[in-house]
Amino acid sequence: MENVNDYEVQIKNLYKAYDKNTVLENLNMNFMKNKITVVTGPSGCGKTTLLNIISGIEKPDSGEVIMRDNSISYIFQEDRLLPQLTVYQNIAFVLKSNMKQVDMNSIIDKYLTLVKLTEAKDKFPSQLSGGMKRRVAIARAFAYKSRLLLMDEPFKGLDDKLKKEIIEQFLRVYSEDKRTIIFVTHDMKEAELLGDTIYNLE
Amino acid sequence: MKISITKVSRKLFILLFWIFVWELCSLFINNDILLPSPIEVFQVLMKLFYKSYFWLSVFSSVGRVLLGLLLSIGIGVVMGIIAGLNKYVEELLEPLLITIKSTPIMSIIILALVWFKSTNVAIFTSILICFPIIYTNVLQGIKSVDLQLIQMADIYKVKNKYIIKDIYIPSIKHYIVSGILMCLGLGWKVSVTSEVLATPKYSIGLNLLNSKAMLETSELFAWTVVVVLLSFAFELAFKYYMKKTDKLSVN
Repeated sequence: MENVNDYEVQIKNLYKAYDKNTVLENLNMNFMKNKITVVTGPSGCGKTTLLNIISGIEKPDSGEVIMRDNSISYIFQEDRLLPQLTVYQNIAFVLKSNMKQVDMNSIIDKYLTLVKLTEAKDKFPSQLSGGMKRRVAIARAFAYKSRLLLMDEPFKGLDDKLKKEIIEQFLRVYSEDKRTIIFVTHDMKEAELLGDTIYNLE
Repeated sequence: MKISITKVSRKLFILLFWIFVWELCSLFINNDILLPSPIEVFQVLMKLFYKSYFWLSVFSSVGRVLLGLLLSIGIGVVMGIIAGLNKYVEELLEPLLITIKSTPIMSIIILALVWFKSTNVAIFTSILICFPIIYTNVLQGIKSVDLQLIQMADIYKVKNKYIIKDIYIPSIKHYIVSGILMCLGLGWKVSVTSEVLATPKYSIGLNLLNSKAMLETSELFAWTVVVVLLSFAFELAFKYYMKKTDKLSVN
């Protein structure tokens, strides 16, 4: 029997429209603590809008989002790395506002090791392959101390071999550092492989 | 190495070509008061080099231009960032900027003559002419910042000082550099024009005015050459500095 305290995030009667185009209507969802919930559905069904509302990037027209904690990590569809900073500095960028240098060093080293990027830590994004950039974004999201991790089609555009490799690394990091994950994808294979719970938006 | 030698020799050739054109024009006009020959101007310049007032004038003018440029850059960058981050500040400053940009330089100089000591007129005028250029460039740079990076920083609750240092400043750097390059030449023109009218004791402008009054056209040309060379040297020094800092940031 599920209990309200088991939920990290609750969505109640959410409504969002752009001009007259309704994207989300009367949406109710619960996201279990320390589990991976996959939200899937066709393009334009409002998956990214849902993540943007949970993260606070966008405001809903009505309804509410109840969260246990407001610390969030977000792996976007794009890498969103700062081009003039190295891999190490990119991760440090999201940590240094709330962390001492000594703690930061050990955390960054830990997650770079988990995504097998230790040797690339002094490289700039322009010197990395697409897969390596994705791994930096994953390491950055996990290095940031949050209870909720939002992932918006993070493996989109990667070839099957690379996708498999990065999913393995992602699962390894996740098993070391469990947190609530809301994972958006339109790929049912990914959804079945990763999701403890799957929601299908239509 | 071969490429750089070819490049230098080509530039030297272009310079010699224009000096030759100048010499030809001077021979054609055949009147030293209207257009002295380059050789004569060079000889006057050599004589000036041995006079202490020449160096005092040059250093005083360089000091004024430098101070004017540095203050323009400082004010322009700070105000540009504030206005770029706050629409109300941008709207508040807009009428002031439009007024300054459309006011004739002479009006600014004459007003400055009323308000300031003669030594400070050139500094004030340079600021008023150069700061809007830097400000506009910074504002444009801020508006072209990648909003996805700002969103990412907001989600990770990155402090504003790091957002400015690591996202805004690198994004506006190229806009600031192009603004400064524009101001380097303009700063010299405006500053020397102000000196001509304000006549501070040691200044290139005063020497230009004296040469004109004495109908010493060769000396007038010699001082003009000095201004051109100084402006060129400023630009070279700045480009060298930027190249060096870019290399350092990559390493």
